[in-house]
Order: sequence, then structure tokens, then C-alpha cells
Amino acid sequence: MTLTAGPPGSPEAADLHAAEQETVFSAQTPAVANTRGPLGPKDEELQRLRSLLFQREIAFIEDLRASLANPAAQAEQVSSVIAEALLLRSRQDDRLSIALEPLVDSIVRDALRANPEAFSSALFPLMGPSIRKSIAESFRSMLENFSKSMEMSFSCKGLRWRFEALRTGKPFGEVVLLHTLIYRVEEVFFIHSATGIDLMHVVNEGVDSQDANMVSAMLTAVQDFVNDSLANGKAGDLETLQHGEYTILLERGPAAYLACLVRGTPPANFREQIRSCLEHLLMEYYLPLSRFDGDTSLFAGSRVRLERLLASRYVDEGQPLPLWIKILLAGFCLGLLGGSGIWKWMDYRAQEQLREEERERHGLRQGRYASIGLLRGEAGLSILHVEPDENGPWEVFCLKDPLARDPLEVLREHDIDPSAFLFRITPYVSYEPDIVRQRVQKAILPPETVSMEFSDAGVLSLSGTAPMEWTLSARQTALALPGVRKVDTGGLADPRTTQLMSMIKLVEGTVVEFPSGKDIPVHEDMPKLTLAVETLVKLESLAARMGMAASLTVFGHADATGTDKRNYEISQARTKTIAAMLYARGSSMPIAMYGMGADYANREKGNVEDQASRRIEMRIHLVRAVNPENDQLGK
Amino acid sequence: MITKKICMLGSFAVGKTALVQQYVHSIFSDRYLSTVGVKISKKNLVLHDQEICLVLWDLEGKDAYTEINISYMRGAMGFFLVADGTRRETLEIALNLRTLALNLTGPVPHCLLVNKADLSPAWEITRKDLASLREGGLIVLETSAKTGLGVEEAFAVMAAGHGADGPGGNIPRGGKE
Ligand SMILES: Nc1nc2c(ncn2[C@@H]2O[C@H](COP(=O)(O)OP(=O)(O)O)[C@@H](O)[C@H]2O)c(=O)[nH]1
Ligand SMILES: [Mg+2]
Repeated sequence: MTLTAGPPGSPEAADLHAAEQETVFSAQTPAVANTRGPLGPKDEELQRLRSLLFQREIAFIEDLRASLANPAAQAEQVSSVIAEALLLRSRQDDRLSIALEPLVDSIVRDALRANPEAFSSALFPLMGPSIRKSIAESFRSMLENFSKSMEMSFSCKGLRWRFEALRTGKPFGEVVLLHTLIYRVEEVFFIHSATGIDLMHVVNEGVDSQDANMVSAMLTAVQDFVNDSLANGKAGDLETLQHGEYTILLERGPAAYLACLVRGTPPANFREQIRSCLEHLLMEYYLPLSRFDGDTSLFAGSRVRLERLLASRYVDEGQPLPLWIKILLAGFCLGLLGGSGIWKWMDYRAQEQLREEERERHGLRQGRYASIGLLRGEAGLSILHVEPDENGPWEVFCLKDPLARDPLEVLREHDIDPSAFLFRITPYVSYEPDIVRQRVQKAILPPETVSMEFSDAGVLSLSGTAPMEWTLSARQTALALPGVRKVDTGGLADPRTTQLMSMIKLVEGTVVEFPSGKDIPVHEDMPKLTLAVETLVKLESLAARMGMAASLTVFGHADATGTDKRNYEISQARTKTIAAMLYARGSSMPIAMYGMGADYANREKGNVEDQASRRIEMRIHLVRAVNPENDQLGK
Repeated sequence: MITKKICMLGSFAVGKTALVQQYVHSIFSDRYLSTVGVKISKKNLVLHDQEICLVLWDLEGKDAYTEINISYMRGAMGFFLVADGTRRETLEIALNLRTLALNLTGPVPHCLLVNKADLSPAWEITRKDLASLREGGLIVLETSAKTGLGVEEAFAVMAAGHGADGPGGNIPRGGKE
């Protein structure tokens, strides 16, 4: 009866025990017995007899009672068996854990509230998984947003902030900002998974940024550590790290991951934003990522996309929530916080399953994005837009040069099932060097003796040996192709050119001398003349085969004796020898003949007879043969 | 900018941490070390007009030096093998680690630093040992984290990407590139 008046162990209860003990068991002291009212003589005798017979037992029972009633002694007794008892009970059924759960919950929560720093550093590597397991992130952020909004309606807040501003010397605006901040994404890191190297890093305005490269390496090391020591490959990757008011959200892809440092609680869909940003980056930088060699400059373009994640939101002070919503929310929050029953209700395993499915879907999506990433490396194929579909093939809109490989074929080559994609192809002309090279190859059909170089700047260099007429037409053709800016044929030689040059050299080096007053060469020069003429005939046809026309100019000379008129006549006459001999051999080479008189005679010894002055010399001109068809096209 | 992840390998107390400290002067907050067990520091340098950032990973701990932590080596673009000149066994460990590491990383630049050159009278490792290693194609440099001898050179050799040829490759003469 009295025992139940107060909770066991309270000082009040202890006093009551003491009182009771005195009343019931101090039978030997008559004074006390009297307080119980008058006792009959029979009773007294019985009592005496009892004390005589059971003196020792009574003392023993008294001790026992005393110890039972004494909480300190009780505690001592229980302490000796409590561990075994708990063990025993927990083997029997799970009621013990059910009974303890709310207690443990509240203890942990209290401890966290009292000293969050100590806990977060102690739990640091465990943070991610434990948060994931405790409560769905979306619930948490909802809660946070609601409670912050509610707080705003208390007007004494404003006063307190003013006071804080005075105390700390910070501007009032800054204090309000700090207090009304719901979340702010402070920094975003784009990190190469394998090396932990920071590829790109953006910070919000006014953020003191640590050294990005060390932070990213550290993050990578932390994750490695967590994976190595905790996961056993089962728990999955770390998703969140929490430290004080800061949260680091991690979103991983196959080759790189994103880490967002957030102050406060980001909106529930923020994770989705990070994920989609990462997916785009993985796709855009597929090749640089897979071939990463430490050159971070290749990722400069990712800045814009990362900067879109740098968002923030503050509590909107202007519109306090209506009272009924506040009450509703308060009820909701209490419900969430108070009853572990609600946690139970959010069937943990169903959630795990959902997460599992989500992870699977995520994996599938990443796989498809990676496949598209593969195609991005394909020359002449330009992916414009991807329409991801959760339940069917993805539509991929792309531009394709006729020379580019079929995307389906590329996928098959990498053992990827192409039926996961529907390609919507629009033809276009690609300026990518690989494609332009193919285009040139197809158009000019270079012979085996020609090698082609194509620079990214659009310069086509041809080298090796090829007939000159091919060179000329290849040059024209190539210049007309999209993507070719310049054609350099300096490295191309026509084997016949050297032949032609030596013929020209022979002819132009031939000097034929004449006897005084004659237009028939001196006898000993006749073989030379014949050789020159025969060479000219060959030269004419070779040049024609090379697309050129040769023409000959013959200069006739006289010595300084005789009149000018006579000298002009005889020098002119001497040139005709050549023409006669050429035409006799069927040549139709145009010949220009000039009688130079004695203008170039050797006058050293005065006007004397000089055989060396009586001579003819030859010069050859080559012109590109006019192609009548081209001429017409020109008009 | 080229950024390279470089790992420090070698048995306990050969001076890995001291070498990094001597080279970098400052080290990232030690708070994480007890949990994560790796010190990360970095140094920027310019080599042939190219900016290079070395991110140095220095594993903390006292045991398991005959094994290699795979995730620690993941993506490493080079590594230092550190031995203590005064303890012969550290050289053998370093050479074992070399084989293990190369298996994980493929042929990446690496070189052997025989540390504590300031104590060279007490060295157990002889110049002859080192000469034969050099003949085998390994880059071997003598350093002292205490006096700073050879430290700058060692990291410059790494930054320049020497010593990727593995056993049998050529050895550049002298330190600085
Ligand atoms: N005399 C000398 N002592 C060194 C040198 N380098 C390191 N030490 C000492 O060797 C001990 C171990 O160095 P530490 O860098 O912690 O070795 P780690 O375990 O390889 O990181 C420390 O007491 C250092 O002071 C050196 O070059 N000369
Ligand atoms: Mg160390």
C-alpha cells in the first residue's frame, strides 16, 4: 500500500519503509507494541513462545526484510545478477529490447543535444550509415523546415537577435541571416574517384574556401576508410557526412563523385539535383575522366554546371503561418519525435527495399548514361539531347555525319544492348578532324605512294610521290570539302618532274655553233643538235602527259663582222634549223625564233670572226595545259 | 594545372612523415588522423612552365607495412619508397613494397629515398647496395628529413615523372631536372 505511494528509490519511499519496519518487527520492545493497541494475555504468551522458539529465525527474517526494503542493499543484490538476467530474458523473447528502446532513444538524443561535437567526431566514420538507417532524410528536412518556420512567429526572437547583435558586435542583418538560414550550399567539389583529385571546385559568395585539393583527397580517404572498415561491401557507399551544422552530401558515379558542403538542411529534392548534375558531368566528361592523367584543365567547363548547385534559402519572415497550420505541424512534429511507435510504423524494411530498388534504378541509369558517354567520344556523332525514360528505351536525339559510325554498331561493339536506346538521327556535316580526314580520303583517293596528314586547324598536308595532274586535281577537290581550310602539297613530288627537269637542262645547256656566213651548224656540233632535238620531242610528249604544254624559244646569234642587217638575217636563219628538224620529227611544239644579230657577239678583240659568237641557244617554257571543260565551267 | 596523387611507402619510422613535413612545411589538420589514418598534404610547383600540384598521401600506423592498402594506392600517379639508412631491413621492405605497389598501379614514376643521411656513419645500408640498385634501373636518392638534404630534389624528380620505367629503365644523373 504505502510502498506504491512513491516511485521506488525515491527518498520519500525510503522513509516510509523505515517507518513500517519499526512498527511491525520491534516486537521485543513493549513500548512500541503498546502503540498497536491492547493485546490479550493469550496473544502475549504466544508472542513470547514465538520469540523463544524462533528467535534466530525472526532475526533472520528481520534482516532479510530490512535488506529488501533498503534500496542500496537491493541495488547491490540486483547488480550481481542483472547482466545474467538481461541475457536470459533477451534469449527468451524481445520484450526487453522493446522496453528499453524508447529509453535508449531518449538517452542518445539527450546526449547528442548536450554535446553534439563530441558525438559527431566519435561517430564521424559511422555518420553516413547511421543517419541513413535512423530516419528518412526527407522527413528530417521537412521537420527542420517546419520548426524553423514556426520559430519565426515568436516576436521575442527579434529582440533577442538585436541583443545578440549588440553583444557580438555583428551587424543585425548578419545575425538575422545566420538565424534565418535554412540552408546554403557553401561549396561543391567535383572529384575524380580513383585519385581523389579535385577536378573542379566552386564556392558560394564569401565562403572561406579550404584548399580544395586537400579537402577532396581527405573526403576520398574518409570514404575509403569507411568502405574498408565498415561496409564489407554490403552497407553501400557513404552518402552523408555530418559535422555540427554542416552536412556533406556525397553523390557517387563510376569515375567521379560530387561532394556538396551544405549549411543547414537542404530541401528534400536537393539530392536529386546533385544526382542529375553528376550524371550530366559524367556524360560530358566521359572521355577525359576515363583517360584522366592529372590534367585538371580539361574540366574547366564544368564550373557553370556546378555553380547551379550553389543555392541558399532563408526563412521568409514576411508571411507567418496561419495558426491552424502551426497547431497541425506541432502535432505532427511531436508525433514524429515522441513516439518510437511512429518509427516502427514506417516499416523499416519496406524502406530498405525501396532504397535498394532506388539504388538499382540509379545503377541502371548510370549505366545508360555511361553508354551515351561512350557515344560522345564517337567522331561525327553529336548527342543533342537524351530523354531518359524510367520504363522504356531512352530517346537519344543526335546529329550524325554520313561518315560517322552507326551508334547501334558502336554500342554492340562494346557489348551494350542497343535496344535500350532509340536514336533520332539528323544528318549533318561534321568538321571533326577524324571525319574530315575520312571525307578527304574518299574524295581524293590518294594513291599508295601518298600519305596524308590532317591538322586540327584544317590543314591537309600531302606528301610522297604522285603524278602532278593528280596533285592538282586532288588539291582542287580537297579545298572544296567542308573542313579543309588549306592544302599543302609541298611534300609531294612527281617522279616525272625530275626527268622533265633534266631534259630541260640538257636542251638549255646545248649551244650549237655555225661556220661564218652559214646557217648549217659546224659539223662537230651536229650530234649535240640532234640529241637536243630528240630530247625536245620526248619532253614535249612527257609534258603533255603531265598536263602541261611546252614551248620553245630559240635565239640565233652572229659574230661582230659584217653589217647589222646581214647579221640579223643570218642569226634569224640559224634558228630555223631547229624548227625544221623538230617539225621533221612530227613535233607541234610552238617555237618562237629570235635573230639577235651581233648584239650578244663577243667583241673583246674588236669586230673579228668568232665561231663561239655564231651560235643558237634554246629556252623552254612549260605552261599548264588549259582544260577546255574547266574553262566553260569558269564562265 | 597537372595534379598528381603521390603515396609515401615504407616501413615504420623511416621518416615518411618527416620528409613530407620537411618538404611541405605544413600539414592538414591532424584531427582526422586518428580515425582515417592518412595524412594528406600538398605542394604546388612549376616545372618547365607547367604548374604541378602534388597531393601527398602519407599513411599513419605501425603495422601491416608488408602489405599495401589497396584503396590508399588507388589512382596513385607515383610513389616514394622510403628506407632508413640505419636499418637494413627497411630497404628489403621497401623493395617488397615496390613490387606490390607496381602490381596495383602499373608502371608509374617511383623512386627510393634512403633517409637519415645525416646519420650516414651509422648506416647499415652501403653505397654498394645502392649502386647495384641503381644499375637495376631504380632511381635512388639519399635524403635527410632532418637537414633537408636531397628533399627538394626528390620531389622534383617525382614531379617530373622520372622513374616510370620499372626495373631495367634508365636512371637520370643527379637530382634536379
Ligand atoms: N636523424 C634523422 N632522424 C629522422 C629523419 N627522418 C625522420 N627522422 C626521425 O625518425 C622518426 C620517425 O619519423 P616519421 O617521419 O614519423 O616516420 P614514419 O613512420 O615513416 O612516418 C622520428 O623521430 C623522426 O624525427 C632524418 O632524416 N634524420
Ligand atoms: Mg608517419
